[in-house]
Amino acid sequence: MDDGDRPVVVSTGIAMTGQNVAFLLVLVVAVSFFSYSIQRALRTLRVGLPEQRLDAPGRRTWNLLTIGFAQSKILRERGAGVSHAAVFWGFLVLTAGTAEILLQGVWPGFGYEHLLPRPLWQLFMLSQEVFAVIVLAAVSWLLWRRLVAPPKRLQGEEIHSTEAVIILGVIAALMVTLFTTGAFEYVAREGVRATHFGWFRPIATALGGAFGALSLGTAETLRDVSWWAHALLVLGFLNFLPYGKHFHVVNSLINVWFSNTSGPGTVGAMKPMDLEAEVESFGASDVEQLTWKNLLDGYACTECGRCTAACPANITGKVLSPRKIVTDTRDRLREKAPYVVGELDVEGSAEAMRLAPGAQAVLDNRLLDNWITEAELWACTSCRACVQECPVSIDQLEIINELRRALVLNESRFPEEVLPTFESLERNGSPWAFSPADRAQWAEGLDIPTMAEKLERGERPEILFWVGCMGSFDDRAKKITVAFARILQAANVDFAILGQEETCHGDPARRLGNEYLYQVLAKGTIETLDRYEVKTIVTFCPHCFHQMGNEFPQLGGNYEVIHHSTYIERLLEANLVPLQTEHGKRLTMAYHDSCYLGRYNDVYDAPRETLRRALPVVNLVEPARTKSRGLCCGAGGGRMFIDEKEGKRINIERTEELVATGAETIAVACPFCMTMMVDGVAKLEADVNVLDISEVVAAQLDPAHERAPLVAGD
Amino acid sequence: MKIAVCIKRVPDMGARFKIGADGASIDETGLKFDMSDFDEWAVEAALQLAEKHAGSTVTVISLGPDSVQETLRKALAMGADAAVQLKAESVPAGGFAVAQALAAELKDGGYDLILFGRLAVDSAAGITGPMVAELLGLPCATALCKLDVQGTSATGERQIEGGVEQLAFPLPAVCTIDQGLVVQARYPSLKGIMAAKKKPLASKPAALGGVGVTITKMELPAERAAGRIVGEGADAVPELVRLLQTEAKVL
Repeated sequence: MDDGDRPVVVSTGIAMTGQNVAFLLVLVVAVSFFSYSIQRALRTLRVGLPEQRLDAPGRRTWNLLTIGFAQSKILRERGAGVSHAAVFWGFLVLTAGTAEILLQGVWPGFGYEHLLPRPLWQLFMLSQEVFAVIVLAAVSWLLWRRLVAPPKRLQGEEIHSTEAVIILGVIAALMVTLFTTGAFEYVAREGVRATHFGWFRPIATALGGAFGALSLGTAETLRDVSWWAHALLVLGFLNFLPYGKHFHVVNSLINVWFSNTSGPGTVGAMKPMDLEAEVESFGASDVEQLTWKNLLDGYACTECGRCTAACPANITGKVLSPRKIVTDTRDRLREKAPYVVGELDVEGSAEAMRLAPGAQAVLDNRLLDNWITEAELWACTSCRACVQECPVSIDQLEIINELRRALVLNESRFPEEVLPTFESLERNGSPWAFSPADRAQWAEGLDIPTMAEKLERGERPEILFWVGCMGSFDDRAKKITVAFARILQAANVDFAILGQEETCHGDPARRLGNEYLYQVLAKGTIETLDRYEVKTIVTFCPHCFHQMGNEFPQLGGNYEVIHHSTYIERLLEANLVPLQTEHGKRLTMAYHDSCYLGRYNDVYDAPRETLRRALPVVNLVEPARTKSRGLCCGAGGGRMFIDEKEGKRINIERTEELVATGAETIAVACPFCMTMMVDGVAKLEADVNVLDISEVVAAQLDPAHERAPLVAGD
Repeated sequence: MKIAVCIKRVPDMGARFKIGADGASIDETGLKFDMSDFDEWAVEAALQLAEKHAGSTVTVISLGPDSVQETLRKALAMGADAAVQLKAESVPAGGFAVAQALAAELKDGGYDLILFGRLAVDSAAGITGPMVAELLGLPCATALCKLDVQGTSATGERQIEGGVEQLAFPLPAVCTIDQGLVVQARYPSLKGIMAAKKKPLASKPAALGGVGVTITKMELPAERAAGRIVGEGADAVPELVRLLQTEAKVL
């Protein structure tokens, strides 16, 4: 990291002094111990289950370059993000100098000036000082922030703040010793001053000038002291890393490469599960049932808390903190690993440890209950905000989902409100106890054919309109169903519904940990869809959209599934929907992003574009948290079926934010969000309309062109 | 302790029923079936007793066509140890025929306790349990909301109008279980479902007794007339009162 230790002697001979020999010893010990620590830590990952993460190397490398090296996620937050990127990029640049300094410690004649053309070498020297200044400025600011004005996400029980302060202090000391080594060298080595100092080492040169009064001998001694301080700090820092949260430095880039949270694969799909597998338990109740990648997540985490700061449950005062999920997993791994995989190079040490006093307490504990409680797990809305925010691509949600599976599948433990949901799903094929016979009641008199009727006539409709349970049974959502059906009819789309043959695909059960019930329902749905040889499905429920499009392939169901926001946008773009040209007054509207549409499927523009195309005069405003940062409505992850007793209600938090935009109408694109927003608006007694985007479009349909489908008794 | 629980497979009562073509049965198309609620509580009570008394076994018995095996598997998934299907083409309407078949099965089973739900939610007769007790010559305690076993005898409680009745009886005995004896029947875990596949389920012909009672006709309740809005505000009150007195006759 240093350039200041450049020796006076320009000879290339290996003439080692006593100092060089001493440093060689230090270096060998330091590198050996570091290597031992790393192996010891990596060995603990063997506790986890195997998982293949070597597929799609191109995509993974892209993630590494964008999320890792370009710091795309960390830069989502301005102040701390820029500072972190400065330290990170600074270290990348300074590491080249560090390599030189360590080599020079044992081989005084070594130096980049012998390898590089002079102009390039001068640039290299300049880069070292410039980045050292940048790093020093950044860590100073970060230290100030930690100590004087810590943001909320850096407070709390699970955070190692002292360690963070020490690390920042060490980094600052590294930069300072870098400068002082150069400055004392400037004084001590007059002979090379002309060639080795100047504009390309502005700080060492200026600082050296200021120390001009020192005698040569004193300067020489101070230079050595400074050099040793710097070198020892580097090696000490390196060896401390594997033992604290700053193991992050070693693991983050690796973790980003192995992570699936930004692809490859389908983002947000829950892990497939083989129910026929001969296993003792399902899901994960301890670290052995998580994969090595879930465990690596713990070592990549540096407790920055961006996940927890974005968590709707945490924001509204629930016990859940996604950061704690990860640090608990890491700490439990550190606690348990010696009993499972033993100590490095000690044959039979795991067996011996299991017999030692105190072992039973550790072995009787488990991640579920002893570290992570049921209440934390059920507070999650599966909104993916934590996963989205994590700068090192940790998957907090996968751990939560695996633990939920263990609770439900092994122990039948879930909030009591969930039992009727499971039972209705089993008996009625919907999360509510409505009669399946009433599923298509909304369509009475609307001239909407079922797949069965179409097939009878020998027709095969282009698209299946998947209505979903909300759209079939919920009174408010049924209006969305009718609105969307009217748009399809007005655009002369050849479509049909399944009618009474539609049943829930099981997504709520899956999110609630009941994989068994999910697979029963999903397989049933796939059977029905395949029976009608369905190819394209359109639905206005983002949960159905995500489940059928992204997770059905796990069970062999492959269909093109389109969300109505995208579908309507396409129809409007192709001018297939006859709209009125009279737009009325200019309406201020705020669109609320659905998690399963946005963060799960990256659909942010289609609903907004749909609104703009249907209502060119609309004034679309954005709430503070929007798009990939949008706040969940509170209904995801099966929370729709669980009472929200703790803290502030999430839908109130979100509605307040939307109402604060001054919007007269809140637009949604999800029936669950609709329920939550309608409830929020009513509780706040706000004079705001909540409309689905299809209702906005349907209201603009040109009556002259609309078919006359609304004649009852067709 | 050996416990037997007799369970019945019934349609989900939330469904919209239709009368079958013969006019004397319900049309089963589209109906979902599950264990009768009271029977579920009886299974739960049996499992809790078995957990309390080490070495106990719980056997579930159901009479009917092969579809009852699904209901029996559910009880096995909840934790019962063995299941017996008394195979019959259909479940006769007369409880006595069923009771005779069950009694024949239970007679030599050596059970200490035979549990039933207080009634089956579809037929709501509540007589099969007491008839089995009579046929086996055993004491019978009905509609229990509390049940404890002490060695070779048991105590129970039943809710009666305005109070509680405390009972004591020797074992073996037949009990029917009311709502409230258990808080909730357990939800079968996947572990339980997997284990249930390997548990014994015997199927044997039901020794049905003579059918004494048959259903000759079924009718759906009359559709409720649509609600009527009389008017709005204070002006509508006299008319509303008049209608409540003359038409609805509730005042």
